[in-house]
Amino acid sequence: MEVDGGRILKVSSGAQSIPRHSRKHKAFYQFTQQSLPACKPVLTPAWVITTFLLMGVIFIPIGLITLHASENVVEIVDRYDTECVPEAFRSNKVAYIKDNSIPKNCSRYLKVYKHMKAPINIYYQLDNYFQNHRRYVKSKNDRQLLHGLGYNDTGSCKPEESNNGLPIVPCGLIAWSLFNDTYTLIRGRSELKVNRKNIAWKSDRDHKFGKSVYPFNFQNGTLMGGGKLHPRIPLSDQEDLIVWMRTAALPSFRKLYGRIEEDLNADDVVVVNVTNNYNTYSFGGKKKLILSTTGWLGGKNNFLGLACTSVGSSSIFISIVFLLLHMKNPRIL
Amino acid sequence: MSGWNRSSRSRLGGRSNPPLERTSTTTTVRLGRVQPQAPSNRTIYCNDREANLPVKFVGNSIATTKYNFLTFLPKGLFEQFRRVANLYFLGISILSTTPISPVNPVTNVVPLSFVLFLSLVKEAWEDWKRFQNDMTINNNSVDVLQDQRWETIPWKRLQVGDIVRIKQNAFFPADLLFLATTNADGVCYIETANLDGETNLKIRKALEKTWDYLTPEKASEFKGELQCEQPNNSLYTFTGNLIIDKQTLPLSPNHLLLRGCSLRNTEYIVGAVVFTGHETKVMMNSMNVPSKRSTLERKLDKLIIGLFITLFCMCLIGAICSGVFINYKYYYLGLRGSKGENISYSSFNPDNRFLVIILNMFTLITLYSTIIPISLYISIEMIKFIQSTQYINNDLRMYHMESNTPALARTSNLNEELGQVEYIFSDKTGTLTRNLMEFFKCSIGGEVYGTGVTEIERGIAQRSGIKLNEEYTSDTVHDKGFNFDDAKLMRGAWRNEPNPDICKEFFRCLAICHTVLPEGDESPEKITYQAASPDESALVIAAKNFGFFFYRRSPTTICVRESHVEKVGDVQDVSYEILNVLEFNSTRKRQSVVCRYPDGRLVLYCKGADNVIYERLADGQDDLKKVSREHLELFGSSGLRTLCLAYRDLSPDVYESWNEKFIQAKSSLRDREKKLDEVAELIEIDLILIGCTAIEDKLQEGVPACIETLARAGIKIWMLTGDKMETAINIGYACNLINNAMKQFIISSETDVIREAENRGDQVEIARVIKDEVKKDLKRCLEEAQHCLRTVSGPKLALVIDGKCLMYALEPTLRVMLLNLSLNCHSVVCCRVSPLQKAQVTSMVRKGARRITLSIGDGANDVSMIQAAHVGVGISGQEGMQAVMASDFAIAQFRFLTDLLLVHGRWSYIRLCKVITYFFYKNLTFTLTQFWFTFYTGYSGQRFYDDWYQSLYNVIFTALPVVIVGLFDKDVSAALSKKYPELYREGIRNVFFRWRVVATWAFFSVYQSLIFFYVVTSSAVRSVDSSGKMFGHMDVSTMAFTCVVVTVNLRLLMTCNSITRWHYISVGGSILAWFIFIFIYCFADHRKSVYYVIFVLMSTFYFYMTLLLVPILALFGDFVYQVLQRWFFPYDYQIIQELHRDEPEGRRREDLLEIGNNLTPAEARSYAVAQLPREISKHTGFAFDSPGYESFFAKQAGVYAPQKAWDVARRASMRRTAKKK
Repeated sequence: MEVDGGRILKVSSGAQSIPRHSRKHKAFYQFTQQSLPACKPVLTPAWVITTFLLMGVIFIPIGLITLHASENVVEIVDRYDTECVPEAFRSNKVAYIKDNSIPKNCSRYLKVYKHMKAPINIYYQLDNYFQNHRRYVKSKNDRQLLHGLGYNDTGSCKPEESNNGLPIVPCGLIAWSLFNDTYTLIRGRSELKVNRKNIAWKSDRDHKFGKSVYPFNFQNGTLMGGGKLHPRIPLSDQEDLIVWMRTAALPSFRKLYGRIEEDLNADDVVVVNVTNNYNTYSFGGKKKLILSTTGWLGGKNNFLGLACTSVGSSSIFISIVFLLLHMKNPRIL
Repeated sequence: MSGWNRSSRSRLGGRSNPPLERTSTTTTVRLGRVQPQAPSNRTIYCNDREANLPVKFVGNSIATTKYNFLTFLPKGLFEQFRRVANLYFLGISILSTTPISPVNPVTNVVPLSFVLFLSLVKEAWEDWKRFQNDMTINNNSVDVLQDQRWETIPWKRLQVGDIVRIKQNAFFPADLLFLATTNADGVCYIETANLDGETNLKIRKALEKTWDYLTPEKASEFKGELQCEQPNNSLYTFTGNLIIDKQTLPLSPNHLLLRGCSLRNTEYIVGAVVFTGHETKVMMNSMNVPSKRSTLERKLDKLIIGLFITLFCMCLIGAICSGVFINYKYYYLGLRGSKGENISYSSFNPDNRFLVIILNMFTLITLYSTIIPISLYISIEMIKFIQSTQYINNDLRMYHMESNTPALARTSNLNEELGQVEYIFSDKTGTLTRNLMEFFKCSIGGEVYGTGVTEIERGIAQRSGIKLNEEYTSDTVHDKGFNFDDAKLMRGAWRNEPNPDICKEFFRCLAICHTVLPEGDESPEKITYQAASPDESALVIAAKNFGFFFYRRSPTTICVRESHVEKVGDVQDVSYEILNVLEFNSTRKRQSVVCRYPDGRLVLYCKGADNVIYERLADGQDDLKKVSREHLELFGSSGLRTLCLAYRDLSPDVYESWNEKFIQAKSSLRDREKKLDEVAELIEIDLILIGCTAIEDKLQEGVPACIETLARAGIKIWMLTGDKMETAINIGYACNLINNAMKQFIISSETDVIREAENRGDQVEIARVIKDEVKKDLKRCLEEAQHCLRTVSGPKLALVIDGKCLMYALEPTLRVMLLNLSLNCHSVVCCRVSPLQKAQVTSMVRKGARRITLSIGDGANDVSMIQAAHVGVGISGQEGMQAVMASDFAIAQFRFLTDLLLVHGRWSYIRLCKVITYFFYKNLTFTLTQFWFTFYTGYSGQRFYDDWYQSLYNVIFTALPVVIVGLFDKDVSAALSKKYPELYREGIRNVFFRWRVVATWAFFSVYQSLIFFYVVTSSAVRSVDSSGKMFGHMDVSTMAFTCVVVTVNLRLLMTCNSITRWHYISVGGSILAWFIFIFIYCFADHRKSVYYVIFVLMSTFYFYMTLLLVPILALFGDFVYQVLQRWFFPYDYQIIQELHRDEPEGRRREDLLEIGNNLTPAEARSYAVAQLPREISKHTGFAFDSPGYESFFAKQAGVYAPQKAWDVARRASMRRTAKKK
């Protein structure tokens, strides 16, 4: 170490007398002597006021634009879980939903309050549904989804890994509890065509669900969790399942059901025929149907716009406060 | 404190069982070989290895390493797991292998092993260096007697009882019994610099019985039986008996040559090994090497424990809620019908909610484990290592050109401790002073000569802004011990002065009145003077340079080669007959010589302390006395050591009658000393004042300025020295430790009451008297001190206490009082203290006041003090390396402390505080987002982030920038740190790492984590692109994680005071690393649920919008806080920053603006000195004594005088021994 010090010292004393010195040595000298060139930001009043002002100037317009984009989105929300249970069963909804002999059809009337431009997305929303529960989330097998029966280790799918000694494809609680309410939309006399393709992310369709993997032994158990899958359609085309299996982050979530590719005019009445199959009654979950247009920012989302505007305006406010403070009482050193 | 107990026990033991009594018992009882050895003493058969074999004495090899080959792994790992964080991660790693863990075990195990591995490598390397050092010492060679020949063997193979030969300038390999020497009279000279820092020689004398055993043939005949005390740590005591030829000879410390000392002025000596290796006195004195941890690190442990408690609460909340939440009604969780499943089912079994709670507790602990920053310790170690090896070791400001010594950080553990030091304990000799006495000024017959400027004057000048010109005139004579510059006296020029006769007397007094021995060639260039104290030789050297060259001494004459006496250029040899020498001792404080000129003139020359000389001056010199008094005070206030010179012409009658009394006294058997003193009083009267000398106890360069700066920085400096009280006070004045504005409390054992008690000789009585006196003094001082403190602008306080009083004051009953008193004092001087007392004082403050202490010293006598303090600093570049080997930092000069503390220490402290609080913040923020998520997952412990996000968060995405800050952050430049030492007080008060600071960070990390979680999730539950697709869990969490990484890195930039390009590179690099990672990771493994996530994210406008908004929203609060804090409650450094905002670093304005003046250098200097604001001091700076001095001359002259130990803390017991003889 001492040798080291000596060497550097020689170098540095040389550096003082001879200004031309190799850059590497100079950099090392600056490093060891802790004299690296540095910018030294000091929060002086001028800097502070300018920074806040600048933030205000940037964020207020962005916020307003975002808010505007969000305001242009038309969204119709209809909660149907309670309404769709016949009066007689209102006191015992669980029994109703579990009784397969009772028809589950139900009609909802939605009034369009503002012109809706195609494409109009149809979502279902579940509340109080913990798709992110630890037991639930890990109960699937990504390899099996991609490789099908070729992949046998389905231990992670417990408790829905096999039935009658045969493996289930797709296994696991997530697939087992597939949402199975269906909607048909009728405007006036004609049925609105609901496009149910391209509702899942392309990457999921292409890379996570096998093109030659077909459902097997699915929902054959004594206990039915949710929807069934068509055994002849490969998983990569079962977009309902793909959407469902991209588990939501929060217990209240929306998932894309389909798309109407016609405009809906103001004051149109859309009749939705719901088959109310899915059991949210046992745990008090809500079910909602949503029709929504999209803007360039996505669905109706005032939050970002509001946040931007409030950041911007509070910045302006603070900068004014500081400006006044500074004018009235300059900082004395 | 075990050392304290040990020493007190040995003292008590000595008291109840005085050595003489033991001697008598041993002679009668005769311990034979068959008798079992009593535990209180050891028997050594000299020159007889077989006979010593059964006792199994320890070998002479020493080991100071912490580990050996076998113990390294267990002990090293144990050391590592003493850190709570490491232990915790071990637990977490084990937990994460169980199925209840939501995370993959590898992600915890790998970082932990990495951290442990690096730490162990570091430990091994440091221990290896210690081992190598031990090996060099153990392999030194020494001559040992074997088969009538001297065999050279390494030190480590030396055994107790061996006969060894030590040559000149060699070190003693073990504690030896001194047998024979090449010098006549059985005397040898030793240097004890390594033990106590004193470079003047000490005399040791062998027993007359053993003088002959010098040659190998003769020595091999030596068959002595040595009975002595068991090894102990008391350097200055030794009792034992040597039995030769059935004759018992008592042994004293005077016969013992201690390991660590070296032989001087003696060709060689022969000795027998008494204590070896770790049993030698010097090794017993050195305490165990404690592994030091910095205070900040210990506070950090508290913070970590705080985090543990937080963690526990979080887990408890989560676990209880999960127990409440879990229910069969959530049919989609598949809880029914899967009983008998494994443990992963039990953690959700609604039938056993208690078990659910317990298991979830563990789950959540592993989930939130990131709250403890695993990479914190390793980052800190890295930062400190680079700080010490690159910054401290390479700092040019701490490089000493003359000795080619850079500063050296021997441990990297304590860098930040340097930024919080409140008490400095300093050794004097070799640390504050160079242990170099230089004749500097004099006053002859009322005229001041000498134009030099002392260090202290320079300091005053600097403070008052006067610039002194430091050029020396070319004709200045420079000799070791002579730094005098005045043409008026040199080369015979004194003949033209107003009083040439007085000048002549002055020079003759210097040349004659001393006890110095000349050595070597009798020419002015080659001669060396052997003096008991460096002051003495400085005076003789001065005489030589003035043209009065003392070159030969015989028992009765002194030969002086005098130049320019009659006329310029004339040289003649004169021999003066020395009739009587009236020795120096501490009560007389003067020394006289009666000499007869060749022409028959009888003169008494006397030199001594001003007050004793003034008392004895003849009447009628009032003017001279007044002027000289002023000069003395002038010298004193400049920090010089003064002596008054006087002479008296004696008539033969007067002398003859006095001489009779003197001879009588000299030959008296009882109370000889006292009688001699009384006789001396009779002749040392009616003196005529010649003048006075001023010797500079050469301070290390820049010491007063350094002490002044450190004092301004709020550091209290204690000087602990083995010197006499006068000397110590003098140096205290010289280096600004004490000044006249201070109220001084002096607690001394040199009072009449104590001396009286000592003369009575009863040990118990002495102890009681001293203790009472000390108690009384302490009480009085404490009352006065409190009174002073109560007054608003009371004077600063200083305490001076000597070793003997300290010994009693340190006793448990008085310690509290001592502590209370000394903590209120701005400076404390402890004189006459032993090495162990130094350590005791240090640990008293360390433990009693709970403040950070630093010890600085250069000799082996400082080792225990250095180890006892929080930070030990050794002065390197000198001869002894013991202090450096024991220290944590080694610097070449005391003045470098300013840089070490105010620059390196302060920066290091600030940087590490930043690093630690930042680590705390970033991990808390990260973990809290996870915590908020738990509330939305049915408390199931589902992880919000992917495994790899979580494990790499600490290791990659946020690791480097914080290290860069720990290395490069600078609040103010080095020059400003030294210009405003007050900035250092922030470190002492620990303002950057107190709970309030941590709480502020915690508050903002809660705020930020709420922003991250709620803004990101609530805005992401709606469709996010124009095709209306929705995000899943992983999309949201990746978004949140991106925001966290960006924000946390930007937040670091906000804390920086200086931003180099390395900051940009590392912060930018970390953010970039995250994106690179996520791109690769999203693409690499299609089985993972994160597959393609980032592409999905980045295809939406939402992503960019959030990325802009969330970090700014999160940092908004911090920014406003910082602005408000700086605006309304600024730290000191922030004020300095703004004051000097526009100055470019490196070049200060003062350096650029240098006003030249037209005066000649000499004129400018004397003008500047005259301009100095000077208060005339009552302190005249007398100091002229050094232990061993009193008997030195007497020995040479063949006059018997009891040898006094050079330790005065133990003087009482020594004196008793001597008397009984």
